[in-house]
Amino acid sequence: MMCSVAWLHMRAETLKGHLDGILLAVLEPDPLHGYAIMEALRVRSGGQVDLPTGTVYPALHRLERAGLVAAIWSQAGGRRRRVYTLTPAGRRALDTERGTWRDFSAVVSALLRPVPLAVNPS
Amino acid sequence: MSGPGGPTVPGLRITGEKRSRGLAAPRGRPAARAGAPGMPVLPSGQAVERYLAEVTARLPGPAKAHSGIVAELRSGLLDAMDGYLSAGLPPAEAVVAAIREFGDPGLVAGGFLPEIAASHARRVAIVLLISGPLVGLLWLATAVTSHPAIRIAVFWQWTTLPASLGAGVQLVAVAVALTASAGAVGIIVTGRLSRQLPARPRCAPLAAAIAAFGAVGADGLGLLLLTAELAAAPAGLSPLPAGAAAAASAARLLLAKRAAYRCLAMRASLTASATSA
Repeated sequence: MMCSVAWLHMRAETLKGHLDGILLAVLEPDPLHGYAIMEALRVRSGGQVDLPTGTVYPALHRLERAGLVAAIWSQAGGRRRRVYTLTPAGRRALDTERGTWRDFSAVVSALLRPVPLAVNPS
Repeated sequence: MSGPGGPTVPGLRITGEKRSRGLAAPRGRPAARAGAPGMPVLPSGQAVERYLAEVTARLPGPAKAHSGIVAELRSGLLDAMDGYLSAGLPPAEAVVAAIREFGDPGLVAGGFLPEIAASHARRVAIVLLISGPLVGLLWLATAVTSHPAIRIAVFWQWTTLPASLGAGVQLVAVAVALTASAGAVGIIVTGRLSRQLPARPRCAPLAAAIAAFGAVGADGLGLLLLTAELAAAPAGLSPLPAGAAAAASAARLLLAKRAAYRCLAMRASLTASATSA
């Protein structure tokens, strides 16, 4: 069980560093409101991602200030919701994030790959 | 898209034990944490409002300033509750589950702190950078319509001014430069470039506070020099621009002083939340 605790902790920490990119990716196909973003995160991660929902909202506000998403209030089903849309700058940032992650994960995969034990030539 | 109450959702751990303990908890307890044992079971609207009040209580400034954040969290909580209701939970448990899912109020408020500090710092910096030149123009008008000894200051010939006035004008220039540069930093680190910059969240309120103190210094010195001139050679000053400049500087000084302390308070709460996290 110790192992799984460490893994959960690492996952939360790793996730934190990539939350911006993940949120942008979730918003790529369609504009969504805060709670729908959380649901999409769960569905797309197969239930593996389970952040405290309340922490997603500050992250969305940060992205909004950075100009990567735009937010508008919309009324639907008697409830006012703040709906987030990816901006052109957000799309570019998502592309960058994807490229960075691809390169980074390729390097780490290469480094973590088990190396067959070399036969000592001498 | 599946509902939040699906079986794969971790976070959903409601036990009868917690519920019964919650019923026994006194209603007025302010420190009831979402998801913590002893969470009182209240009518759902009341429980949501209490949770929201706990979040806003941890945010700097008046509660009214955070109405947008509160409205957004409220609609999210109600959405989450709907999900648990449609998954078959009774209302009392659905609201507890929704609140638990949102997380500790301190955690949520802590997430918003850097955002609130950044937007406040940005606003302060923008107002200072816009009002500075306007107030400066009034002082310029005062100087060019007043007697020659003051008029010279406009042409940066401070050395030919009476020593005290010259030194005062130089100090004003230093304060103005401080406000301009710190204000520019405040705007840059809170804007679109913020993601590219390695600036820490505490940098923005500090920059805005420095800019505001610079404005306090510039306006205060301006008023001081004006008072000195009034005492020395009252006839040389033209009253209308001098009065307008004095009034504008006094108003700016008071606002800037308040903004500076507010920015420092926000920086302090950011530090506190960073160390407690």
